[in-house]
Amino acid sequence: MPSSLSAALAPLDLPDTDGRPVRLGSLWAVRPAVVVFLRHYG
Amino acid sequence: MREHEDEITGAGAALAAVGLGDRAYASRFREETGIGFPLLVDEERRAYRAAGLKSGSLLHLLRRDNARARARASAAGHRQRRLGKDPFQLGASFVFAPGDRDLYVHLSATFGDHAPMAELVAAISADGDER
Repeated sequence: MPSSLSAALAPLDLPDTDGRPVRLGSLWAVRPAVVVFLRHYG
Repeated sequence: MREHEDEITGAGAALAAVGLGDRAYASRFREETGIGFPLLVDEERRAYRAAGLKSGSLLHLLRRDNARARARASAAGHRQRRLGKDPFQLGASFVFAPGDRDLYVHLSATFGDHAPMAELVAAISADGDER
């Protein structure tokens, strides 16, 4: 059981708009990150 | 969120968004808005499920807090565009830090329930004070 939400999300890879995979954990590996889950775009 | 990008990065944090729908939809959104921060696509809702994000329902449209949120958004000049893949999906805002620490968690209770920017910035700043 992950100890935090960030730990649960960190190993997931999602593509960016160019199709490049981004490991979610890389977003906050070096400095804090605000990660917003959208209902929809716009 | 895009109007707060400078405030967030100025506080020392990165900014990223995760959305549903497909890459083409996300690309069009990026082109239309010119946002510079990472915009990730979760077509299969893997991250949404891992984060425990819920869906609303038609009944949420009747909630008073939802009506107030719509009024605030409208007053700020925001307009509803395409609804997207799952119009009932609720969102969330997180501040995560190195070491997989959760500095701030806001799970939207209804449509238009967004994390106050001041709380996001405070979470970022508090972490900076501790380091």
